[in-house]
Parts: sequence; structure tokens; C-alpha cells
Amino acid sequence: MPVGGMFGSDLLEYNPDFYSIMKSPFNGEEVVCVRSLQPDWAIVHVQEADIYGNARILGSKFQDILLSRAAKKTIITTEKIVDTEVMRKDPGLTAIPHFLVAAVVEAPGGAKPGICFNGSFAPEDNKADDAGMKAYLKAVKEDTVQEYLAKVTEGRV
Amino acid sequence: MTYGPAEMLTIALAREIKDGDVVFHGLASPVPMTAMKLAKALGKNFTELTITDGVDPAWDKPAFVGSTLSSNRLDGAVAYYGLDEIFDLACTGRVDISFLSLVQIDQGGHINMSYVGGTNAQPKLRMPGGAGTATLTRVTNRTTIWKTKHDTKSFVQKVDCATTTADPNKIFRVLTNLCIMNFQNGKLEVEGIFPYTTLAEVKENTGWEITQTDVPVIPEPTAEELAALEKVDPNRIRYIEF
Repeated sequence: MPVGGMFGSDLLEYNPDFYSIMKSPFNGEEVVCVRSLQPDWAIVHVQEADIYGNARILGSKFQDILLSRAAKKTIITTEKIVDTEVMRKDPGLTAIPHFLVAAVVEAPGGAKPGICFNGSFAPEDNKADDAGMKAYLKAVKEDTVQEYLAKVTEGRV
Repeated sequence: MTYGPAEMLTIALAREIKDGDVVFHGLASPVPMTAMKLAKALGKNFTELTITDGVDPAWDKPAFVGSTLSSNRLDGAVAYYGLDEIFDLACTGRVDISFLSLVQIDQGGHINMSYVGGTNAQPKLRMPGGAGTATLTRVTNRTTIWKTKHDTKSFVQKVDCATTTADPNKIFRVLTNLCIMNFQNGKLEVEGIFPYTTLAEVKENTGWEITQTDVPVIPEPTAEELAALEKVDPNRIRYIEF
């Protein structure tokens, strides 16, 4: 697919399998094209979803919507399951519709040690978990992620 | 109130913003984030776009922690505009300023965000990558780089990799803790130095030869600018990068 910019970047030369320069069929100008990415799975954590996978993102959306469109299948993990009627009342708030979703997992606090703003956290806990983030980074460095995960999931509500 | 490099750079970044601008910064950008709040506090009428904050969030709500981790970033925004949409907006020439940073830069306006040492296949240090830099510097009307540490590690003779190159047909400016540089006729030149430094100090901390002998001193922060900065940043988020 064609993208803007990119000229003047060494990346074009480093990744010839990913970047290609083509002529625009409309005005003859050169344009950089990139190979599209199609991940097998996207895993997206949201604040609210119904059992069919209709999902609402109540805070900043980052690239989550794009990920769900690019992936072959998406897994939704959610702070809470809501009734489909909630979606029907305000369909414009559904960020990811059910037909893109292969599975829904109810996982309160599922973004730990990251944060899911406006999720199930009490207002005073609705802030970044610095200590948790440091513990995670330490586990990655020390190659003890499995132990770390066991600790985190056992401690979860 | 006294001021140091953190105040001067934040204020200098805010001065770059003009009425009517559409301004973007990416993740982990405490200084530009504070500069945008400051520009709003000083009455500049512009549109703020970021990945975390949506469109025009409440500038008068101070951030609690670093730019993208503060839970109140989206408060008061009138809309959410996704990063893919922001890129499309930039590619159609409608983003006036992108605040970007770098790991290395050279006089030719090459920015390195990819790796340092070795080769691309086998780097000594692999960095997170350019994110949108390779696109944004070429399509943003006024690319505005901020770098809180102006030294010869970052301001080098030649970058190890050009993740992107300044577009000679667009405005490309670099603001550091010491000075403001501007890209003209294919090379970066010192446009002005901050009041507390000297051209000699800038030269000492720059890896390429600066041949200029006389450059203007940038006006120091006004009392109004410093008071507004204190108001929008009581938690001193701006110091995170210094």
C-alpha cells in the first residue's frame, strides 16, 4: 500500500522486502509502498465488551482499532462483560465489532502492570503502576517472566 | 522565578507554536506536552493532537506523571483522533508542527532513531526505531525537534543510520538545552543561543564544525511565560527529561 514521506530514509535500502518505490498511476510521481502487515492474532484489552466480542474502548485508543482490522483474528480481554443492549443503545461507541473477534476473556486488571484508564480501578488506583512495571522489566532481564506471571495472576482479583 | 534549561527549552518550544496551527507530539514527550499546555495558557489558539490526549484536552489540568502515563490526559478533549488518522492528516499537508526527538543528528539533517554502532543487520545497540519519524519529517510543514541533552554523542559528524532526512523544501528546526538550529541550504546552522550559554559551549558539544562566529542570543523567558509554565506544570513534569 502507498504511504506518505519515507524518502531520505535508509530504511528503504535496509528492507527491500518491505518497501518498494512505485510511480503513482494518477500523477506519475514517485511514491513509497509498504507491504501490509497481517498478524495472525491481535490481543486487545478493553474496558467493556459483550459476550459476542463487541468491544468499547473508553480511554485513549492508541493503535488498538487498527490492530483489530489488520489481524486475521482478535482476542478481546475486558475489564467487564456488559449486556449487548448496552452496545445497542450507543453503537457509535463500539470500537471493535464482534465479527472481527474470535474470543472474549473477562480479565479485570488484565492490563497489569500497564493501566486501563477508566477501567475497574478505583479512582485513586487509576494511575500508572511504576513498581509493577519495574518488577516486570526486572523479570524480563532476569528471564523469570513465568514466575512473575504466576505471581501476578495469583494476586489478581 | 529563576529559570534553567528545562524552562528555557519548554518556553522556546511553546514560542514555535502559532495561532491556527495543528500541532502533534508522540508518546513519551513530557517537554513538548508541557510546551503545548504552556502555549495554550499564554493564549495561543491552536489545535492539539496526540495519541493519548485526543483533540484539545484540558490544558489547565496538570499532568501527574510523564506524558503518556498520566490518567487525566484525555480529560476535557472534544474528540479522539487516532494515530492512523493523524498520519493521513499529516500526509495531506494539514499538520503544521510535529514535535520529534532523536538519538543522533548530523549537519546534513539526518536523524538516527534506528541503531548505533555496527550495521543494521548486526547493530551494537538496536533502538526502538523511528516510529513515524520517516514519514512525518517529510510531510509536516514545520518539523520541530527537541533534544534535552546537546552533546557530541548525539550531535555527530555522521549518523550511523539515517532513519530520516530533513526535507529541504520544508521547515526543520532543532531546539536543544543550549540553542536553536535551523536547516537551510542543506545544512543545520545555529540560529540563536540561549542566554546562559556561549557559542563556544555549543561548538564544544557539537560533533561537526560550526563555522559561525556570531549568533544572536534568544530572549530569556518573560515573567509571564515563567508564571504560566509554573501554573500548567506544578508537578515539574518537564524535569523528567533533564
